[in-house]
Amino acid sequence: MMRALQYFFTEAAVSLWRGRRAGLVSIITITTAVFVLGVFLILTSNLDRATVAWRAAAEVSVYLRDQISTEERAGIERLLAESPVVAAREYVSKDDARRRFDELFPDLAAAAADLPDNPFPASYEARLRGGAANSQSVEALVRQLERQFGVSDVQYDRRWLDRLASVTAVVRWVGIALAFVLGAAAALTVANVVRLALYARRDEIEIMQLVGAPLAHIRGPFVAEGLLQGGAGAGLALLALAGTYAALDARYGVTVARMVGGVVIQFLPLSLGVVLVLGGMAVGCVGGLVAARGVR
Amino acid sequence: MIQAEALTKLYGTDVYALRDVSLSVEKGEFAFLTGPSGAGKTTFLRLLICQDRPTSGRLVAAGRDLAELSRGQIQAYRRGIGFVFQDFKLIPGKTVFENVIFVPRILGLPDSHQIRHTYQVLKWVGLQHCINAYPPQISGGEQQRVAIARALVSEPALILADEPTGNLDPDLALEIMNLFRDINASGTTVLVATHDRELIRRVGRRTITLTQGRVLPA
Repeated sequence: MMRALQYFFTEAAVSLWRGRRAGLVSIITITTAVFVLGVFLILTSNLDRATVAWRAAAEVSVYLRDQISTEERAGIERLLAESPVVAAREYVSKDDARRRFDELFPDLAAAAADLPDNPFPASYEARLRGGAANSQSVEALVRQLERQFGVSDVQYDRRWLDRLASVTAVVRWVGIALAFVLGAAAALTVANVVRLALYARRDEIEIMQLVGAPLAHIRGPFVAEGLLQGGAGAGLALLALAGTYAALDARYGVTVARMVGGVVIQFLPLSLGVVLVLGGMAVGCVGGLVAARGVR
Repeated sequence: MIQAEALTKLYGTDVYALRDVSLSVEKGEFAFLTGPSGAGKTTFLRLLICQDRPTSGRLVAAGRDLAELSRGQIQAYRRGIGFVFQDFKLIPGKTVFENVIFVPRILGLPDSHQIRHTYQVLKWVGLQHCINAYPPQISGGEQQRVAIARALVSEPALILADEPTGNLDPDLALEIMNLFRDINASGTTVLVATHDRELIRRVGRRTITLTQGRVLPA
């Protein structure tokens, strides 16, 4: 068994070297397919992590009208204080809101300072108890707050987190569909390149057939060739992904983390990297198998 | 060793390559299959190596009915037969030694046996001096010797040769025939297809003559 595998891969490596130009084409198509899938996986896995983190820190923000009366504000505060789902609340004045804006977006602070009035509304930020984020009582509290006089808007994180989760799912499926199409194209390219190798070695194959070589022995090197092309393509894609990630992280990592509330963008976990390489090898293997089926 | 009974091979609807052929080659025999071009010699050999199936009739070789063999059985059957072709069918990118050891390697024989036996066979056919040469670097006669070594290395019970001297001059052709005679002397059955009447006369073995797909009476 080991000797057969050694024979398959030695022959495959020699054949790849002989037809290295054509081999490079199929390796590049596999690299492209795996790279695209990798980009989508990095995006969606980080969006998933961020969504979980943001759900755990879900808040209800109650924006107040500038003309709110003291009684109206007391009513809102009472509602929040008595609600069983609210763990803590904080009043953010118009000045506090502006200060936060200046800290978050220092580049825009000057422009905001030029405005005649402070455009930022005062608000209450209510942090929810653990596990309350999904409860019906939060929705009930939000509806009650929306009906209060003096309230201009109520923002509940969960609503946009749900929308974000839907968008993440769409992004994931788009990535998978795109990778599937590119993967099929890569498999076809590998099949054609392996067919070229088959054609170049047709005399050798005929002799093998005439001396009674088992079919697996004849086809094996061509399947191994597809496998090697797939592995090389996926490996290159991972290297390209890691390089791109490192470059972008060094340039924009801190800014992005600040913008998304401290969630650090991470590279693919090792297990997914292994899955991508195995996937690339599988695509190459399918291409090799399709071509090798021509040997009968 | 070879038994054909009412063997017919029809291409299309009306082109008979072989028609109602009955013949036999005994175990350990050296026989020639001769006839003009288009007589059916190559078709008969193609049927013998299972590259084609008969349209009707029966062909038995090495104790097997060739029409009944499955793909796996064909592979096993071919491992017991050696083939030699007019155009040698050597792999130009492999050395003489690699062209021969290629067979025991495919058959999965132990490494030490592969190397020792390949060297012995190459020495026996007189090619020990050029084992590292590539086929285009050696003469036609030497290339045919490599092909014979490759056919012999699996120690087959039957050797089939299709016009093995077709590309060689008369002296080299006789040398190759002498090799086949030596192979036959060690007990291997040899069937050589050739249209070279002079060569057949000089070697002097039983001849089966085909013409227009039929066997001529001896």
